[in-house]
Amino acid sequence: MNIRQLNERVAAAKRETLARGETFYPGPSRVHLASFPPKERWDEWVAVEPDGGERSYALVPTTCFNCESACGLLAYVDRETLQVRKFEGNPEHPGSRGRNCAKGPATLNQVTDPDRILYPLRRVGGRGEGRWERVSWDEALDDIAGRIRRALEEKRPNDVMYHVGRPGEDGFTERVLAAWGVDGHNSHTNICSSGGRAGYHWWMGLDRPSPDHANADVILLVSAHLESGHYFNPHAQRIVEARERGAKLIVVDTRLSNTATHADHWLAPVPGSEAAMLLAIASHLIRTGRHDREFVRRWWNWQEYLACEHPDRPQTFEEFERLLGELYSEYTFEYAERESGVSAEVLREVAETVAGARTRLATHVWRSASAGNLGGWQVARALFLLNALLGAVAVEGGTYPNAWNKFVPRPPVLPGHPEQWNELTWPEEYPLAMNEMSFLLPQLLKDGRGTIDVYFTRVYNPVWTNPDGFSWIETLTDSSLVGLHVALTPTWNETAYLADYVLPMGLGSERHDIHSYEQYDGQWVGFRQPVLRAARERLGEIVSDTREVNPGEVWEENEFWIDLTWRIDPDGALGIRGFFESRERPGEKMTVDEYYGWIFEHSVPGLPEAAAAEGLTPLGYMRRYGAFEVAKGVGPLHERPVPEAELEDAAVGEHGRVYTRAPKPDAPNVVPLPTPEPDEEGRRPVGVEVDGEILRGWPTPSGRLEFYSRTLAEWGWPEAAVPVYLRSHVHPDELGADRMTLISTFRLPVQIHTRSANAKWLDEIAHTNPLWLHPQDAERLGGIRTGDLVRVETEIGYFVVKAWVTEGIRPGVVACSHHMGRWKPEGQTGGQRQAMATVSLEREGSEWLLRRKAGVAPFESSDPDTGRIWWSDVGVHQNLTFPVHPDPVSGMHCWHQAVRVRRAEPGDAYGDISVDTAASREVYERWLERTRSARDTSPDGTRRPYWLLRPLKPPKDVYRLPAVRE
Amino acid sequence: MSELLRTLGVLCEPPLPHHRAMADALALPGEARDDEYAELFLFQLYPYGSVYLGPEGKLGGEARDRVAGFWRALGLTPPAEPDHLASLLGLYAELAEREAPQEWRRALLHEHLLSWTDPFLDRVGELAPPYHRAWAGLLREALDVEAAAVGPLPLAPLAHRDAPSLERPEEIGGVGFLEQLLTPVRTGFVLVRSDLVAAGRDLGLGLRVAERRYVLEALLAQDAPATLRWLARFAERAAERHRSEFWRERAAAAAALLAEAAGEAAQQEEVAHAR
Repeated sequence: MNIRQLNERVAAAKRETLARGETFYPGPSRVHLASFPPKERWDEWVAVEPDGGERSYALVPTTCFNCESACGLLAYVDRETLQVRKFEGNPEHPGSRGRNCAKGPATLNQVTDPDRILYPLRRVGGRGEGRWERVSWDEALDDIAGRIRRALEEKRPNDVMYHVGRPGEDGFTERVLAAWGVDGHNSHTNICSSGGRAGYHWWMGLDRPSPDHANADVILLVSAHLESGHYFNPHAQRIVEARERGAKLIVVDTRLSNTATHADHWLAPVPGSEAAMLLAIASHLIRTGRHDREFVRRWWNWQEYLACEHPDRPQTFEEFERLLGELYSEYTFEYAERESGVSAEVLREVAETVAGARTRLATHVWRSASAGNLGGWQVARALFLLNALLGAVAVEGGTYPNAWNKFVPRPPVLPGHPEQWNELTWPEEYPLAMNEMSFLLPQLLKDGRGTIDVYFTRVYNPVWTNPDGFSWIETLTDSSLVGLHVALTPTWNETAYLADYVLPMGLGSERHDIHSYEQYDGQWVGFRQPVLRAARERLGEIVSDTREVNPGEVWEENEFWIDLTWRIDPDGALGIRGFFESRERPGEKMTVDEYYGWIFEHSVPGLPEAAAAEGLTPLGYMRRYGAFEVAKGVGPLHERPVPEAELEDAAVGEHGRVYTRAPKPDAPNVVPLPTPEPDEEGRRPVGVEVDGEILRGWPTPSGRLEFYSRTLAEWGWPEAAVPVYLRSHVHPDELGADRMTLISTFRLPVQIHTRSANAKWLDEIAHTNPLWLHPQDAERLGGIRTGDLVRVETEIGYFVVKAWVTEGIRPGVVACSHHMGRWKPEGQTGGQRQAMATVSLEREGSEWLLRRKAGVAPFESSDPDTGRIWWSDVGVHQNLTFPVHPDPVSGMHCWHQAVRVRRAEPGDAYGDISVDTAASREVYERWLERTRSARDTSPDGTRRPYWLLRPLKPPKDVYRLPAVRE
Repeated sequence: MSELLRTLGVLCEPPLPHHRAMADALALPGEARDDEYAELFLFQLYPYGSVYLGPEGKLGGEARDRVAGFWRALGLTPPAEPDHLASLLGLYAELAEREAPQEWRRALLHEHLLSWTDPFLDRVGELAPPYHRAWAGLLREALDVEAAAVGPLPLAPLAHRDAPSLERPEEIGGVGFLEQLLTPVRTGFVLVRSDLVAAGRDLGLGLRVAERRYVLEALLAQDAPATLRWLARFAERAAERHRSEFWRERAAAAAALLAEAAGEAAQQEEVAHAR
C-alpha cells in the first residue's frame, strides 16, 4: 500500500469512528510535559516507576493548604499500600488548571514529616516549660467544652476567642462562632492585607481586586505577584499568558524581586512613595484627557462629592471634571520624582503605557506598599483610581471586585450573628479598621479591655508572625490574661509552645473544606478532602470519622467543631447543638458527608446536572474532581438592570440610590457583602439610577464607585476621603540622616510564612534570610561585605543578621524576608528539627534577649533525608524587634521599620535578638495618639459604620457606643 | 495527506487507548507501550525541533522561539510546545485542510520539519522497538511525498544557514567542546544515552550514571584518545547515513575534527608518559 492509500485508509477509519459517535483523536494535544493522566483513568492509573516497575494508583483530588491560593492537587494514592506517594496538580481545577508552585507537591513532606504532631497533647508544668503528655481527644474536648459552656452560661460569651492565621476555607468556622453566639472571631488580616483591602473597600464596597490578567494589555503590579502572594500561581500563569500575547508588565517594588525581573518597567521607588507615583500617572490621564469620561460620569459618585465638598459650585459633571483636574494638578511627574526617586521621564513613559491599556488594565496590590506604610491603604485607593479613570473595571482585561468572581455556596444552616461586641477585636479607637485589631491583643488585654478564658489559635503563630512577639509571650504565659490556650495546628510553632492543649489538625490532604477565590472572571468552588478517606471509599470502605484514615490521631476541623459544639451543648439546652444536628437523622450529629452533600446538592448551580451526567451524586462528583466551575465570564454586574420583581414600592434617594421593599432573594451564593443602610422608611438599597435606568450598581452607600468616601469624611478623616498621597512613617523626612527603611514583608517564593518549615524540599531550597544591602550603603557603613554580621536597630531593640550586598535593592533601603528565623526554646521537646534553631530566652523585667544556641543539624528519623541535612543556618527572627504600628484608619500594622544598620559589635552573635517591651509599649501609645476614636468622631453614636464588612456582624443595636467604656 | 500526517503526529504523543484505532489503520506492528514510549521519547530522542536545531542542543530557546514566531506570523497562538513534532504535524495538517497558501506549507515543511527530521527519524529507525520504527518509516515517506508536492525553497532553511559549527577544543576549552558534542546542529550527529553506553562497552571504560554530559566527561577522563576516535567513527557513520546535505556535511566535518583531536590527545598522552 503506498503512502497516499494509507492516508485514505486513516481518513476512512476516522469517518467510521465519528459515525459511531466516538472520538478518533483523543482531544487536545497532550504533547507538553505537563500532561495529566486522563480523568477517566483516575480510579486506576498505572505509572512506570523510576525502577522500571509498574505501580497502580488511585488519583484523588484535594486542595493545597499552604498559601491561600487554594490550588488543586491530585494525590497519587498507592492502591496497594493506601499511602500517598506524590502530589501533582489537578487539571480539573479551574483556578490553578493543573499547575502548582513548589509548595503544592511539598505537601507530601508535611504528611511524612517525622516531627509532626500526631496526638493531642496537654501541658505538664508551667506554660512554656516544654513538657507535654498525651491525652485522649475525649479528655481534651470535654475539658475545653466545659469551659466554653460555663462562659456561655455565665453570660461571658466574649471570653471565647478563635484566632485564625490561614483560614483556607469560606466561613465554616465563622458559622460555628455565630452558632455559639460569641463575637470571638479574630483574624490575622491586620498584619496582612487589610491596608490593601481598606483601599478597595472604600472604592467599591468590596475589599479585594480580581484582575483579569489573562485578557489585559497592561498589567500593573504593586507586588511580587509572579512569585508569591494571593493568588500568585493562578494569577501568575495568566500574567504569563497575557505576556505571550504581548501585554506589558509594570512592577512597582523597591526590591528586585523575581517578579520585577520579568517586568517591562520595573519601578523601585523610595518606600512609601508609591501613591505619589500612581497619582502622578492618574494626573497625566486626566490632564491629557485619556480617561473614560462616560465611565466616570456614569459610575463615580461625583454628584455626592460635589454636594458634600463643593455645595456652592455648579453641580454638573463638567464642573466635577474641572475640580478633578485641579485636585490632582499638584501630582506632576516632577513631584513624584522628588518623592519616589523614580525619574519623571520613566514615570511619563509608564503613564503612557497605562493610558494605552484603555479598559484592558489589570492592577493589583495586596500587601506590599499597602502593608508597609502609614496610610498604605491609599496606595490601593490610588491604584484603583487608574482603573476607575480608564473604565477598566469589571470588563474583560480589567480589574473586577472579588465578590463577583467568588462563589460561597449557602450551607444547610446559617446561624444569626452574635448579639455581642468584642472590644478586644474591635476597639473604639479604630472605628474604620478593616479587620480585627488582632495584633494589639496583648496591649488590649494588659489594659483590661476584655478577658479571654478560652483562646484558640488555629494555624496561627502570633509569637513569631506578629510584631512585638515578646509582648505576646508575656501575655500568653500569663494565665490571668489568657485562661486556656488551645493550639490547633498540624505542626509545632512558637505559639503552640505556650499552649495548654496542642491539638493536631490535618494538612491539605487530611481535611474537609470548601473555598472559592477570585482568580479570573469566573466563579468556582473547590473542595478539600482527606484523600485517603476518598480513596478508601472508592474501594468500597465506609469511613465515618476522618481520624480513621489520618496518621496517628490527627483530626480535621469540621468534625472537631461539630463534636465540640455537641459537647458544649449536649442536651440542646443552650440552643446551639441544633445548628450541627443531622437533618436526615434528628438527634444525631451532622456528618461532613451530609453537610457537604447538602451544599453540593442545593447551593451550587449546575453541579447536580454535571454530576448526574456522569452518574455521580454531587458530593461524589466533588470527591472525584475536587472543583466545579459555576460561571465563566461574569462580566459587569453593576451594569445589569434590577429586575422589576425586585422593585416593589421602590424609591429613589440621594444621587440616584434606589431602595425597595422587596425582600432580598435567597441567593445560593452567600459571598460576604457589605450592607449599605436602608432609606429612612426602611427600604433596602437595591440599585442605582443611571441615565434613567435602574442598574445593580455597587454595594456602597451611594451605589456607585466611591471616588469620594463620605464614610471617611464623616468618621473623622475628611482630608483623606478622596485618593491622596499620605506620607509614610518612613518618609525620608522622618528617617533623618542616620536611619534607613527596612522592608520586612517580602516572601521567599518557595516558603509560606511559618507553615512550611515542615517541608524538607522547601527548606533545602530556602532556609535563611540575609539582609539585602546596597553596595553604596555597604561602603558607607564601613566596607561591609556579604556574610558580615550587622546589627539592625529598631525602635525597641535590635537583631544581628548576615549582610547580603546586592544591587537588587534601592540605596538607602534594606530588606529582610520575614519567612525565616524559626526557633524553639532550649528544653522544648517538640519542634521542627529541620528548620528551627534552638535558642535561649532570657528576661529581666521588660528586657528580653534571645540567643541562638544551635542551628539545625542532621538527625536520624523515620525519613533518611533528615540525616542528610547539610544546612545549619535557618535565618533570624526579625519580627520580634518590631513594635506595633497600627494605621489609625485601616487598622493595618504598618510593617516598614526605620532602622539603624551598623557592623555588629564584638560579642554580638548571629541571631541575637534584644528587645525592651516597655519601649514597645511606648511606641504603641504614640501610635494610639494618631487615632480618631469613634467616641469623638462617630456621626451617629455607633462604634463603626454599619455598612462596612465585618466577618461576624452583630445586629445594628449592638453597634451603639456604650455610655462609658465597658 | 493531512489525515495521515496528523495521525502520525498524534502517535508520537504519550500512548493512549485511543491510539489503537489509528495504529490499526496504519498497520503498525505490536502496540504502543508506556515504558517503550518513555524510553524512546523521554530518555533518548526528544521529538522537539529545538533539540536538533538549537545552538545548545537543548529544549526551547531561540530555536523554539523561531517556531513560535512562525505560528504567530500565521496569526495563530503558539501552543505550549510549538516545536514538538506532534504540534508541527498537526499544524501542517491543518494548513493543508484549510487550503492555506502553498508557500506557508512549504515554509513550515522545510524550515521547521525537514530541517531536523532527517537525523531524528534516522535514529528512531535505529533505536526504536518495531512499533515506533515502523512509525518513523511511514513519517519519513509521508514527508518525502509532501516535499515533492510543495516543491523546494529557494534558500536553505534559516536554522541551517544560521547554524553555529563545532568549534575546536583548544578554542573553547574542554567543557565547551563537551557540550558542543551533544549539540546535533553543530556535530551533524545525535548522541543519545544508549550510544554512550555502547561507547563505554566498546572501549572497556567505566560508565557513570548521570546526564549525558557527565557520562561523556567520565569517558573522556578515562581515555580521551580512544573516546574521541570512537566519536569520530560515530560521526563518519552518521555522515554515511544522512540523506540531507547539511547534516551529511556537518557530520563529516565533525568526524575530521574529532579524528584530529584524537590524534592530538594521543600525542599528549605519549608526551606525558615519556616524562
